[in-house]
Amino acid sequence: MIFGRLAPVTDLRMTDLRMNDPRKTIVVTGVGVVSPYGIGLECLQVGLLAGRCCLVPTKDMYPGFEGTTAQVCGLPHQANGASSRYSRSDRLAMVAARDAVANLDCESDTFRESGAGVFMASTVAGLSEIDPGIAEDPAAWYRNDGLARAATYPPAHVADAVGVDLGVCGPRCAISAACASSAMAIALAANMLLDGAATMMLAGGSDALCPFTLSGFSSLQALDPDPCRPFDQNRKGLNLGEGAAVLVLETLAGAAERHADVLAVLRGWAMTNDAFHTTAPQQQGNGLADCMRVAMEMAEVSGDEIGYVNAHGTGTPLNDIAETSAYETAFRGRNRPVPVSSTKSYFGHCLGAAGALEAAITITAIRCGALLPTLRLTDPIESSGVDWLRGEVRRESLPLAMSVSAGFGGSNTALIFGSGNNLS
Amino acid sequence: MSSNLSAITGVGSVSPYGPLAGLIPPCRLEPESITAWPTAGLRRAFLVKPFRPASVVPGLKTRRLDRLAAWALVASSLAIQDAGIDLSQVDRSRVAVVFGTGFGCAELTEAFFQSAAASGWRGTDPSPFPEGLANAPASHVALWHGLRGPNITVGSTGFAGETALIQAASLLRHGQADLAIVLAGDTLTRSVYEWYEAAGLLSPGCYNSEPLPQGGGFVPSEGVAALVLEPAGRREARTYAQFSSGRWAAGGRAADAIRQLLGGSAPTLTICAGNGAPCASSSVTVLAREIGGPSAAIVPAQAVAAGLTDAGGLLHLILALSSRPRKGPALLLGTSGDGGFAAVLLELP
Repeated sequence: MIFGRLAPVTDLRMTDLRMNDPRKTIVVTGVGVVSPYGIGLECLQVGLLAGRCCLVPTKDMYPGFEGTTAQVCGLPHQANGASSRYSRSDRLAMVAARDAVANLDCESDTFRESGAGVFMASTVAGLSEIDPGIAEDPAAWYRNDGLARAATYPPAHVADAVGVDLGVCGPRCAISAACASSAMAIALAANMLLDGAATMMLAGGSDALCPFTLSGFSSLQALDPDPCRPFDQNRKGLNLGEGAAVLVLETLAGAAERHADVLAVLRGWAMTNDAFHTTAPQQQGNGLADCMRVAMEMAEVSGDEIGYVNAHGTGTPLNDIAETSAYETAFRGRNRPVPVSSTKSYFGHCLGAAGALEAAITITAIRCGALLPTLRLTDPIESSGVDWLRGEVRRESLPLAMSVSAGFGGSNTALIFGSGNNLS
Repeated sequence: MSSNLSAITGVGSVSPYGPLAGLIPPCRLEPESITAWPTAGLRRAFLVKPFRPASVVPGLKTRRLDRLAAWALVASSLAIQDAGIDLSQVDRSRVAVVFGTGFGCAELTEAFFQSAAASGWRGTDPSPFPEGLANAPASHVALWHGLRGPNITVGSTGFAGETALIQAASLLRHGQADLAIVLAGDTLTRSVYEWYEAAGLLSPGCYNSEPLPQGGGFVPSEGVAALVLEPAGRREARTYAQFSSGRWAAGGRAADAIRQLLGGSAPTLTICAGNGAPCASSSVTVLAREIGGPSAAIVPAQAVAAGLTDAGGLLHLILALSSRPRKGPALLLGTSGDGGFAAVLLELP
């Protein structure tokens, strides 16, 4: 039995709030983004719709490393003395969170005393600030300016950085589920709202590029030296990116009370685990298919109603084949193939931030009525159940879309968003 | 079956008391000398004595795992055994794993940095990389037991264990799982210990063999505690405690929020899940007295669990349950030291 089932709301202008329980309907009232396109949802939207790829040779930014990555440029400088207190992941998160609440009066007592919570995901957190010297003699490394940098290491530091910066003091925690982390942060934040544990939740993820992850994925031979080709028969691996995204989530009742613009409705969410392998996905994609099925059950929608899926789509040989199988299973019986694309082809895989960034992209797709293609997809994996989006942006009305995330350790998360009012 | 209440029906732990199913027999522990890395003189901590995981859980292979993941596997197995649950009779797609940690797999993260120091960033050893992720312990618990429900790792300054417990109860309440394995823990590594030392957080008891003084720093600890949480009412289940409700926040008026949680009643017992230095004047004890009054029954923070810092909440709970407290409402209370708090209201049978 699904106790957290949501009211079927797709267009709030058509909704009689008396018929649906506005306390059980979760809406998105803010989206903040820092991506390789820059700061803000608008520049992400413009970049994606223009089909602009941000991937560049890694050696341009990290000499000695080969491959292709996408970096955030122009991150605002910090005040004097603050730089060592915050990691790059912290800073990306703080900027994204500020962007997400740009329409709120963050300096007001009303906001600060609102009990807003912060759930932030990160896989890198402060690892970007630590170098191999720590392994040789930690005490000496701490004495030599490392103490404050190492303090940014715990994943909870990112959530604390956001919470302290905004002055909010509701429930606060870090979520770690590898590359499904920030989608899971959004799902768990929605649970918190249904529990009445907070009036508003800022949920998302942040991860910085750093030698630790570049080296780690390189050692696993998971990187494509060239711009990645998700779902292509000739795919060779993933590219790493960096960024952060934060969604402001509220109940519909809370949003209505403060006359907030509703950007989208979070209709359903689900989390599963493959319980198969620490790094490889289960080849039939059963865990991911279950995840999508449960999310659709929660949203009370059929597979036919999902107009677009923003895929996990890393570009690794194993992930993409398992994910394709998962779509075939989850959408079996649908009257036409399900449209799917991977936007990691635009700016790489942002690890713990990927799920939240892709949630933001999914909301953008709904708001713009634009189904984004996968770049460089010339020879797609054969599938009768999937409509691979490639070439031009496809324009059509999109009442419902799904964002899918998966990660090392077998974690899967699916989020289903629907259109809200005040869309343009 | 009660629809909204969940019950703790099994406990297990890998701690300085050893790997144990069920409650922890009374036993006074003293910190031990650290020998795992070179130290400048005597350095002490509460350490998990080395043991072979397969001798506790037959068939377990942990050679490539971070100790945190190995201990999570053992502690979860012991908790499930203690709960008397036969997982082959359970729909494992409905079993969640929620793990709370402060540092994650610090040991293999260090190993990865060591391989980078030895061979350069382009010559790193691939094996510690995925196993060093913070969610690796929860993933291994899912993999070993075949648990396909939500698999969540949380970190929360001051109270990762309490946060994991509250999240797990939320999953059950929303029908997103029928059973949850809740864990919390950390390992003590050289870089963690020396960070505490460089930050001036350690007790004088870390540097000499005298009895531990009250306050003035803490003695680091390590281990993993595990609970089985399920809807209350399974006929053959032994209930250690029922989970009534929980709340945590990073600030605000803690006492007011907790009184609201209590609904006007007073807890029979408050379990202080302090982290860092356990002492009579610590923030958690002060808050417990503010809520319960001067005559309130308080289980003070235990040094072994407090040394686990963020991840000590569940071990505090198991230690308090092990003291056979009388029945009634009990409050598991944690603070972050900077205004944050976590409060879990339990009903002891």
